[in-house]
Amino acid sequence: MKRALIIAGLIVALVVGAYVGLRVSRPYVFAGTVIQSPESSYDFTLQSASGPVSLSDFRGKVVVLYFGYTFCPDVCPTTMSDLATAMKLLDEKADDVQVIMVSVDPERDTPKIMKEYVQAFDPAFIGLSGTSEQIAATAAKYGVFYAKQEGSDATGYLISHTATVMVIDAGGRLKLLEDFGTTPEDMAADLKHVIT
Amino acid sequence: MRKAVAAPVPLTTGCSASGMSVTDVRGRPSPSGATSAAFYLTIENHGAEADRLASADSSTCAPTELHEMYDRGKGVMGMRPVTGVDLPAGASVMLRPGGLHVMCIDRLADFAPGDHVALTLEFQNAGTIEVDVTIRESR
Repeated sequence: MKRALIIAGLIVALVVGAYVGLRVSRPYVFAGTVIQSPESSYDFTLQSASGPVSLSDFRGKVVVLYFGYTFCPDVCPTTMSDLATAMKLLDEKADDVQVIMVSVDPERDTPKIMKEYVQAFDPAFIGLSGTSEQIAATAAKYGVFYAKQEGSDATGYLISHTATVMVIDAGGRLKLLEDFGTTPEDMAADLKHVIT
Repeated sequence: MRKAVAAPVPLTTGCSASGMSVTDVRGRPSPSGATSAAFYLTIENHGAEADRLASADSSTCAPTELHEMYDRGKGVMGMRPVTGVDLPAGASVMLRPGGLHVMCIDRLADFAPGDHVALTLEFQNAGTIEVDVTIRESR
């Protein structure tokens, strides 16, 4: 009887131990696509409402980079709103993250318009524009596609663009790609694991 | 820019005698700097006949159109105007982020949380349904 109890106790301890061990050792699975980039991401310099801004200005912080345009009523505000929610979820850790939106519509989006636009979502967000050449060069370096397309008479041209959110680690290397529609909860969890 | 005027009786749900119901009519607060905005809603066609949302109109937008986002592959999203939204009998169709939306092309007012915007939906068979867009933070 005593022996049976000891064996039963050992089995319970083994099962509990294995469960706890698995829980602790299981690596975090990112919601985004992990990029193992050995090199620093392209160090762009673009215009903010208060002067030039370079990616390297934020070394030591995680940079969340998004390309969009202010006339975009759906995908861009959805993404910016989701990023604002993710920042709230990160709480004080949000200080270690800088969200930057780069316009793919430099003809219509001035640095001032970009500032007003992004700050409506979160006062800490930075909005950038530049010359058509600067934007094209930056987008190309990040594999971002954008192209004007016909809209209606009322909208004028519309722009198709890559809607992926890019996460650049504190060392300036591209770390994650977050697809459009990734929830703020998933993005916040991913960012927490990129912040060092 | 003037403020959006709150409708006297905010109706967030619109119904018609022909069994068309429109619910969850919403839009996001619009960032200053953004001239356009999107409205989202759910349409349920409880009728026995297929119908079609032909157009949308709001005096707060100049003009109002129906648009859809479409996936161009490799993470690229495009947007295009559509001529209508098909509503098969018994179907529930959601106009939501990343898909279809009512496009308010030039906002004639700021949209702040709690504001209401009057929106008129024109259906091929069900006729006109007046709804009220609630401005709120939502996905």
